[in-house]
Amino acid sequence: MLRLIVRRVLLMGLTALTVSALLFFSVTKLLGSPAGMMLGQDASPQAIAALNAQYGFDRPALSQYLHWLGDALTGDLGRSYTTQQSVAQAIATRVPVTLELAVWSIALAVAAAVFFNTIPVARAPVRRIVTLVNLVGISVPNFMLGVSLIFLLSVQLDLLPSTGWVPWSDGVGAHLAHMVMPVLTLSAYYFGAFSIVYRAEYQDVIQRPFIGVARARGLSEWRVAFRHAAPNAILPVITFVGISIGQLTGGAVVTETIFSMPGTGRLFVASIEGRDFPVMLAIGMLIVVGVVLMNLLADIAYTIANPQIRHAS
Amino acid sequence: MMRPRVMRPGRWIGIAVIAGIAAIAVAAPVLAPRDPYRSGIDMLVLPSATHFLGTDDLGRDVLSRVIYGARASLAIGLGAALVAMLIGVPIGLLAGTLRGRIDVALVALIDLFIALPGLVLALIFTAMVGANLRNLILVLGVVMWPPIARLVRGQALALRETVFVEAARATGGTQLWIIRRHVWPGVLPVVAAQFSISVSFAIFTSASLSFLGLGIPPPAADWGGMVRAGYDYLAINPAMSLAPGAAVSLTVMGFYVIGASFK
Repeated sequence: MLRLIVRRVLLMGLTALTVSALLFFSVTKLLGSPAGMMLGQDASPQAIAALNAQYGFDRPALSQYLHWLGDALTGDLGRSYTTQQSVAQAIATRVPVTLELAVWSIALAVAAAVFFNTIPVARAPVRRIVTLVNLVGISVPNFMLGVSLIFLLSVQLDLLPSTGWVPWSDGVGAHLAHMVMPVLTLSAYYFGAFSIVYRAEYQDVIQRPFIGVARARGLSEWRVAFRHAAPNAILPVITFVGISIGQLTGGAVVTETIFSMPGTGRLFVASIEGRDFPVMLAIGMLIVVGVVLMNLLADIAYTIANPQIRHAS
Repeated sequence: MMRPRVMRPGRWIGIAVIAGIAAIAVAAPVLAPRDPYRSGIDMLVLPSATHFLGTDDLGRDVLSRVIYGARASLAIGLGAALVAMLIGVPIGLLAGTLRGRIDVALVALIDLFIALPGLVLALIFTAMVGANLRNLILVLGVVMWPPIARLVRGQALALRETVFVEAARATGGTQLWIIRRHVWPGVLPVVAAQFSISVSFAIFTSASLSFLGLGIPPPAADWGGMVRAGYDYLAINPAMSLAPGAAVSLTVMGFYVIGASFK
């Protein structure tokens, strides 16, 4: 198993390296030197040359890339072109917001998907409603969901603050109140997707002999469903969570924009709008490394949980 | 990737919805009560008999803009899905039929791209090449091909083991002939179902790009951009945001249901 993991880790490093090079070269090639943009249209050629020398834009692309990579590996991601702030610092203050949003959303989606697809009263009408909610979750774009929630819960009912974000230190209640709609918005798709994966497995598990044994022992349907069937059907969902992290970053970008949250996703959109290359590249890399890392963890978790694979190698 | 089983009537509802939206897109100049680009002095008017969905912040008729928005959405959705198919299907067919080193290399490429978030890639690419209809179609097509290639490869791999393909190989058929004559017909139904799902994904993603302000630039009548513009005026004329949002949702759902029902 160790060999399998080592091979995965090496493959992951290779992927991250390839993508970083692709990102770096395509962005520098297509955007060109940002000096003209940073200094404005009236900049003198001397000023542009000086800036190019200062940032190293005058060096060959490969040298620029290796320089950037070396700095990045030591934690120096450069400075933002627009704010002059350290990129590493800017990202560090924003990552917790995105991470919290993602963790709440995934947790809610998993819990709801497992609960609603396990309850034994889920006969025809209830099941049909769950199927419909799945479909809505998967196909209604999250920006539409977010805007609808704001309209319903903030504008019409005045229950929750529409946008913005408050740190924990300003009060737990206020913080959580600002998190409700973003979490609902981001988790809807995953509720639908996890439900599909979970239900397929659950319907397989519920047919197995040990469920018949549990029933024969006189256990209630609820106990059979939640204690005996559900734990045996949850593994594919866990694997799927790992695979979904990539897409989740896209959802987080949209969700943070709708609700004006100071997260990594909104910084990413701002960096693209402002052609802020160091920020854009750093967040792009962060997403890629995060995605590859989550896939790796999901693979390893699956290997550990499944003896057939564990002993095969 | 697993899809929900959609009930059979669902397919017909999906087809009816998409047919309706396609008809609206084609007949937009006839159906739209007003010019979707002409501003007026009646700004942010609530829905009424003269303006069925009210007007936006520039006094433009919301209903007319929603009707015209169907054109851009369908063009991007169909175009991007087609581009994704043109890249993904040949790669999947080659990988699945040829096996060996080519397969290993292609699968590595597919796995690399499949792990990357589509929306984030699309954001970076559109920022680089500039957002217009043609570029968006190309960018989304390039972002969407890996799952198609993976699906086609799996299907081709299964067909490769069948007796009739083996017989075709035994009679001395060339690889290309086998792919065209025996593998492609078996892959076609899966590709058709996936096409519909790809269209829904392309419309979803392009609308998200527009919502983020990085899609087709204004003043184009574009659903995602309209939701974004109207979102500041939710308390004044909610239809300005909710109507185009409902239109995107319905279109995405329609294409998705059709595709899922054929799987």
